[in-house]
Amino acid sequence: MTIKNMNSRIAIPIVTACLVFWVGFSSLSVFGQESLHARIDRLILERTGGEVSHKSSDAEFLRRVSLDFVSHIPSAKDARSFIEDETPNKRQFLIDRLLADDRYAIRMADVFNVSLIERRSKHEEWINYLRSSFSSNKPWDDMVREIVAPDSDNEANRGAAFFYTARLERYGQNPPDVPGLVRDVGRMFLGVDVACAQCHDHLFINDYKQVDYQGLYAFVGNTVLRQDVKFPAITENPLLTKVAFKSVFEGVEKMTGPRLPGGPEIEIPEQNQGEEFLIPPDKKIRAPGVLKFSPIRALSESLTRSDKPEFSKNIANRLWWIMMGRGLVEPLDMHHSGNPASHPELLDLLAREIVEHKFDIKWMLRELALSDTYQRSSIQPTDIAEPPLAASYRTALERPLLSEQWITILREVTGEATTDPKTLTEWQARFDKIFANPPKEPELNVAPTVKAALFLSNDRVVLSWFDRKDGNLVDRLCKLDNTEAIVDEAYLSILTRLPTVVERTDMEHFLDKFKGPREKSIGQMAWALAASTEFFVNH
Amino acid sequence: MNPNSSLCMPNEHRLSRRRLLGTAAGAVGAFGLGGLLQPAVANELSKKDKQVLFIWIDGGMSQFESWDPKPNTLFGGPFRAIPTSVPGVHISELMPQTAKQMHHMAIVRSLCTQDNSHSAGVARIQRGDPKNRGVTYPYFGSAVSNLLGPGSSNLPSYVWIKPGSGGFIHEDAGFLGPKYGALAFGDGKPPENLMRPESISESEDEARHQLRGIVNAHYANRRRPVVSEANKYVFDTARTLMHRRELFDETAFSERDRERYGTHEFGRHMLIGRKMLEAGVRFVKVNSYGWDTHGDNFNGHLSLMPKFDQAYSAVIEDLAASGMLDHVLVIAMSEFGRTPRINGHIGRDHWPESWSLAMAGCGVKKGVVVGKTNDKGTFVDSDPLDIGHMFHTWFRALGIDPNETQFSNAGQPLPIAHDDLHACEEVLA
Repeated sequence: MTIKNMNSRIAIPIVTACLVFWVGFSSLSVFGQESLHARIDRLILERTGGEVSHKSSDAEFLRRVSLDFVSHIPSAKDARSFIEDETPNKRQFLIDRLLADDRYAIRMADVFNVSLIERRSKHEEWINYLRSSFSSNKPWDDMVREIVAPDSDNEANRGAAFFYTARLERYGQNPPDVPGLVRDVGRMFLGVDVACAQCHDHLFINDYKQVDYQGLYAFVGNTVLRQDVKFPAITENPLLTKVAFKSVFEGVEKMTGPRLPGGPEIEIPEQNQGEEFLIPPDKKIRAPGVLKFSPIRALSESLTRSDKPEFSKNIANRLWWIMMGRGLVEPLDMHHSGNPASHPELLDLLAREIVEHKFDIKWMLRELALSDTYQRSSIQPTDIAEPPLAASYRTALERPLLSEQWITILREVTGEATTDPKTLTEWQARFDKIFANPPKEPELNVAPTVKAALFLSNDRVVLSWFDRKDGNLVDRLCKLDNTEAIVDEAYLSILTRLPTVVERTDMEHFLDKFKGPREKSIGQMAWALAASTEFFVNH
Repeated sequence: MNPNSSLCMPNEHRLSRRRLLGTAAGAVGAFGLGGLLQPAVANELSKKDKQVLFIWIDGGMSQFESWDPKPNTLFGGPFRAIPTSVPGVHISELMPQTAKQMHHMAIVRSLCTQDNSHSAGVARIQRGDPKNRGVTYPYFGSAVSNLLGPGSSNLPSYVWIKPGSGGFIHEDAGFLGPKYGALAFGDGKPPENLMRPESISESEDEARHQLRGIVNAHYANRRRPVVSEANKYVFDTARTLMHRRELFDETAFSERDRERYGTHEFGRHMLIGRKMLEAGVRFVKVNSYGWDTHGDNFNGHLSLMPKFDQAYSAVIEDLAASGMLDHVLVIAMSEFGRTPRINGHIGRDHWPESWSLAMAGCGVKKGVVVGKTNDKGTFVDSDPLDIGHMFHTWFRALGIDPNETQFSNAGQPLPIAHDDLHACEEVLA
């Protein structure tokens, strides 16, 4: 269901009444156990260390959750009706509507694409794989199995191999980034960054040993990019012996087989050379062959075993980060005993719950969205001397928008209607250049740049969206009969809120004083709202 | 809340790697220097308005064909040495103009550094090769930008004029965080989108940005200052650059200047560099590529050196004449020198064992030569100086005591220069 259907949904009183009854008890589950979101709030409130912000206004919440779940800014009409709607639990209905929206899968595909690939490159099959996975709400452990041990013969899922191929591709003279691949398996799926333990035990993180890096290397170090097909695909060379390595400090040779950090070593079955394959590779038809012992299959099984708390903690922490703007463990890929979670019991709880719910991502996101912690305002409590610490979650954190969101919402609010795919691809590339991080840089925080400031101020294409065109925002505003209505409509359309009295006066003053065509002054006012800090972040 | 409570992780204080500006807490260490918004100490230093012109000769300039000629010796090559404006000091005949400016500058002939590959050397030298502490040290430009701040010009504090493309080179900043990265002007050209569209008049532009300010002020009220301040900073910088478009207007240079500096790329870039210094940019890096003369070294230097000589001597002459040399530190160097041995391709290879650099201004002694190499120029024949010594020396020239001042890496104090080395006192006035 899309947001356009929102009013009709809200307008059905009987359905609503039934739901209200049910929702009234929703903080208790069927067996009377406290719901996850209630337990989250309790654990957060235990350690706030100070006053918390008030609950977000309906407008702030509507904007936040729409950006989070469907990368979308509600229209002025939808915003108005949500703000005026008096249905109790309307927030919960909104959450459920958005989670059922087709755009949810697109949004989550963007989030996980940026997290897992870190903008190394792009591939349509990978995006399609992510979208269909989130569309069917595929459990995270299933996804990881498909990503870590990709199956080239399965047309629906083969795009998952892009996790490997994006790192094994050659860029210019750079060799395949095998160390990056090893590191990212640890970072993305276990929340540990063992890069600094490649040549020796980590210098100041006791938990990260060289054998942890080398053990991961034994799993994925034999993967090779397949050149014979157009879609992302890899093959594996047989692993016959353990990996030998030496610390640059000690110089003593050590060995390890495939092994997850801190886990048991997996035995490499004895195989004679020439007998490693179940189905040998066939060069004539370019079939890669099937190994008897496949380290990446072993990896996919070891990673997702239910007794692997690192795996569930990692995804719980990342989902928390998506919604709250900060990991319970920060940085996200630095889980170790010297860097405990800000709320250890909470992380344990989330990790346990996601296992119990069979790695149901949508369920977890829904619980997070229902929490007061998520629904707090980004406006700080009154009378405090210092901004609350981010890790206290007393005040909602501002979060960055992805470049994919930027182009969507800027077109959406201005009413820029182009549907030509070629133009859209060009524009996306342009927005990526401005708003996306360089390859291999995680996108974690709000990061304004001079580049973006110049782009928003002067880019011809973006500015043209604020020119009056049939049916676009400025056109709609121009057709309103008084200045107050224009200002209110502009604020609602762009910032999802009404202006304060002072703001309204300032805007009216600007419009009245402007020497030039009315539509130009309205266009510039709309631009000022869209180029503001408030528009720049998800707050 | 007590900042020492258990919820306060070091990361709380770490800047996003790409953020151009964060909280004051983000970058300010125990010593209190650092944030762009850091008032007291940074202002105190910026009053002195010390600036740096860092001329990077990428690929490795040959010391034999420049600062340390050895004519008529086994490895000396075909070029002669010529006298300079300082009696007794000789440099290569490929630098006749520079020879006339010798009385403003100092030469260090006893460099002995660690790395002979470009890939490691360029970064290692520009990061001052500190002891390995498991963190990425900032390039000199980022370090100065962090320690001295942007000054009063409102312009970005670390500007890099380079051939090829430009952009925001945040990698230079290492652990200091991206706001100390370089703003690179590719071919001296302004960044994209610097020009206001013709459809918007100057007063309209002013008015729309003012309006944006009103919206922002409302938003900033009672919200965490970090994001609002960062956003204000980037828009202000963008606006400053827009207002200073003349910095990129090469037509404004006089015909005489253009001739003196040279109409070639390096000359043009040096002239833009001078303009950036005049405009108050704290640290300007000007770059010349293509010095890796493994083959045909002598013809290579015969073609490269005159361009360097022309632009370098012109900028020294101008900075001296305007008095700016009193507070502008000028450094010209590569990542290493070139081998004494002349290879089978009549080239010289990489040689970190004994090589030279030139420096001037900002309290550097005038007309001195520090250190020497042996007769054949194969090794240093005085106390060898590593790049760490040079970093100590430069920081001292800039009024920063490297033994008292530290960087802060998320609260971890780190020395600004190699802690086992020291400044070269001989060259400091």
